[in-house]
Amino acid sequence: MRVRGRVVLAVAAIGVLVASSACAAPRTGDGRATGVPAATGRPVDGGVIEYGHEQEPPCAHAGWVQNAYLARQYLDNLVSLTDEGTVVPWLATGWDVSPDRLAYTFHLRRDVRFTDGTRLDAAAVKTNFDTYLDTKTQNSTVTAYLGPYFSAGRVLDDFTYRLELKSPYEPLLTVLSQGYFGIQSPTALARGPEANCTAPVGSGPFVLEKWERNRAITFVRNPNYNSAPANARHQGPPYVEKVIWKFLKDPVLRYGSLTSGSSDVIYNVPVVDWADASTRFQLRQYITGGRPNAVSLNVTRAPFDDVRVRRAFAWSADRRAAVRGAFLGVVPYNGNGSLSRSTPDYDPALDDAYRYDPARANRLLDDAGWTRRDDRGIRLKDGKPLEISLIYAAGAIVGPEGAAVLQDMAQQAREVGFDVRLVPATQSEHFGGKYAPADTYHGYVGYWTSPTPGLLHINWRQRLPNSPNPNNTAYYNDPELQRTIEQGNAATDPAQRQRYYSAAQRIISDQAAAIGLYTQTTSIAVAPRLRDVWIEKSQGEPVFSDARFVE
Amino acid sequence: MTTTADISSDGDISSEFGQPARRRPGRRTATAWAGRIAGAALVLWAAATTTFLLQALAPGDRATLLLNLAAGQSRDRTPDELAPVNAKYGFTDPLGQQYLDYLGGLLRGDLGTSYQLQEPVLSVILDQIAPTLVLTATALALAWLIVITATMLGAGRRGPLAGPANLLETVAAGLPHYWLGVILLVVFAIELSWFPVESGSGPRGLVLPALTLAVPLSGFLGQVTRAEFARALDQPHVLSARARGLGDTATRFRHVLRHSLIPALSISGWAMGALFGGAVIAETVFARAGIGQTLVAAAESRDVPLVSGIVVAIATVYVLANLVVDFLYTVVDPRISAA
Repeated sequence: MRVRGRVVLAVAAIGVLVASSACAAPRTGDGRATGVPAATGRPVDGGVIEYGHEQEPPCAHAGWVQNAYLARQYLDNLVSLTDEGTVVPWLATGWDVSPDRLAYTFHLRRDVRFTDGTRLDAAAVKTNFDTYLDTKTQNSTVTAYLGPYFSAGRVLDDFTYRLELKSPYEPLLTVLSQGYFGIQSPTALARGPEANCTAPVGSGPFVLEKWERNRAITFVRNPNYNSAPANARHQGPPYVEKVIWKFLKDPVLRYGSLTSGSSDVIYNVPVVDWADASTRFQLRQYITGGRPNAVSLNVTRAPFDDVRVRRAFAWSADRRAAVRGAFLGVVPYNGNGSLSRSTPDYDPALDDAYRYDPARANRLLDDAGWTRRDDRGIRLKDGKPLEISLIYAAGAIVGPEGAAVLQDMAQQAREVGFDVRLVPATQSEHFGGKYAPADTYHGYVGYWTSPTPGLLHINWRQRLPNSPNPNNTAYYNDPELQRTIEQGNAATDPAQRQRYYSAAQRIISDQAAAIGLYTQTTSIAVAPRLRDVWIEKSQGEPVFSDARFVE
Repeated sequence: MTTTADISSDGDISSEFGQPARRRPGRRTATAWAGRIAGAALVLWAAATTTFLLQALAPGDRATLLLNLAAGQSRDRTPDELAPVNAKYGFTDPLGQQYLDYLGGLLRGDLGTSYQLQEPVLSVILDQIAPTLVLTATALALAWLIVITATMLGAGRRGPLAGPANLLETVAAGLPHYWLGVILLVVFAIELSWFPVESGSGPRGLVLPALTLAVPLSGFLGQVTRAEFARALDQPHVLSARARGLGDTATRFRHVLRHSLIPALSISGWAMGALFGGAVIAETVFARAGIGQTLVAAAESRDVPLVSGIVVAIATVYVLANLVVDFLYTVVDPRISAA
């Protein structure tokens, strides 16, 4: 064992030297690429990639980021997002935007067939959008993005589809690059949700061949693949024959599977193994855009209906240190509670809007009338203790490191007089909406991966009787905030857009309606003998269609 | 030790674990078999009913859960969104109606369709149960192997090793499956590479997960067996066997071991059911296919038909295992059937 360890170290040392002298490994988006470079040698066609993933969604297609990861393997989208954030052709070879910014006309490729033989055409695209926006089909993520803006979809001719909007929506093209908007075979869609759950059909680089529950999904190469996005590293069918997408839920197992050679790639490298992995594998970390893991503070419910108390809570904990401690520096702190640092137009100034300052928190709480303390040190007002319940979906959304951050926070908030009750919600409680009603929580932890700051419209549009918005978990209704976000979504001038989005982030921060913790990240570790696995930008989906083994 | 001695005499420990009271089988009359089958049916009905009620009455709305799980969201849903889901699965039917529909389906052998996987529950179970049965049966066999070896070598002997051996059994019986599984994984699969890291379907991959389940169980069975073994060693027939000049090993094997296995055998029927619980963990740690992981995933998403179907399937295995145990009594101790 000891000998093997030394050999590994020596190889790693050489690898690091090579890495620092040779050109850097290809970067992806705002991702961090570290570790050893791919082995040199002749790339070969064929082979099977064994990939160790973490979470297993119930169905292959739906609106969770877990679904987007899968969608990337078997679906093509209309457009793709490059590392630089520009939108490039995919199934759409080009598009025209009307002068009033209300109509997007997509010109489709004419040579693409879905893997069931159905032709890709404008009718197929229309069927997809109409189905996704239908409340019966459960793709509520598509609805969250498009619902308020979508007016109609029209087939102009066989290969021209026009998407019409109610009002200008500049993030549209970026939005369409996400896996949830992948285009499926209309023939397959017509089979209904049962068949589409385990055997959806697209035109993508791989075909979902087999799903062994709890174990693996087998993707086989689509030999006729001719529709890679413009930012792919090669056109044509994938080099490898198969991708075995294994579900390795236990972190020890997942990393062990990589080190023992049972897997070629793994997802979510455990933070305790990060340093070791950086000496042995190609490491990529992608910080997903959108909302970071943040606490929404329920502004409709005492004591957080008082902005002073919300701000006091934000000042009360050293979140930066808590995140560094729990994630060992691997996952970055993101103090801005509305957008994560890799989102376009993110305002970094807000990361330190509430630097740890317990004295300030104490003053604010005094001002707000929480002056007395009980024998436990919890503040009181009119005889009532300053109690806060913080809900987080343990496992499904917040992992053990995230839970440690919350415990740290709760402990520090207690010092200034908050009695913080951390409530780990089970998956069924969380997704069952047990904590959706306003009177069930004071704070709720969550993230939302998105490539556009237009996401603010989903998380912060007002909850009104005639226009409900259940994704506004802070219950923060502010017409000015909504208007500012909508102006950002509509602005064609990038500088102007940034000003609006920045103003919106500032309102959320000033109001302490959301408190940022840490970013949502995709990390993968790749064995040196496999080259060109990359992470795409819209959702951090691993891409295997360009990957090839080295001889 | 005293408790194990108490329960060991009549082999009736299983009634403590919710199994219908089982007496030593008498003559295999039609009445006895009818009673036994009725008892088995009762167990199955109780399992199905309990699971149905637990799942149906748990807080949270099932239609909301289905929609949110697909979307990765936790929001409440509008009546427009919920209506089609409720209509499809009959969530808004009266509970009694849902229950009757469910039981009616069970009687026809129709376990329903999984909400989440959109597949017939029966086919999900048939796909997944074989690896778990192989795992639990192997674990049980391994546990017995450990128990018989340890008992033959150590039980009833006095000396410096008796105390530590007993302690070892107690420790083994209390080992958490997750902890043991990870240790075995790291040491024997990741570091030493003696076994595959992912269990797969080969026999070599079965060893570590089976050991994960077998070691704690063997500690438990061993405590029961050891006590009984020590008692049997002092029985008159053992003394007379020794007096006839039979060697120590032969005496232990032919006269004592057989006698002392009865209580542990009785527990084995229960253990087969209990092992399904540990199988969840072993399957996760070793990335093994199986019904345990399916059950956890189904429970997390409140997939009522799937959870109920799996529980009924496990209850069936449990009932069958106990029938087999009853039969084995007669093999181990012919006096039981003759009585």
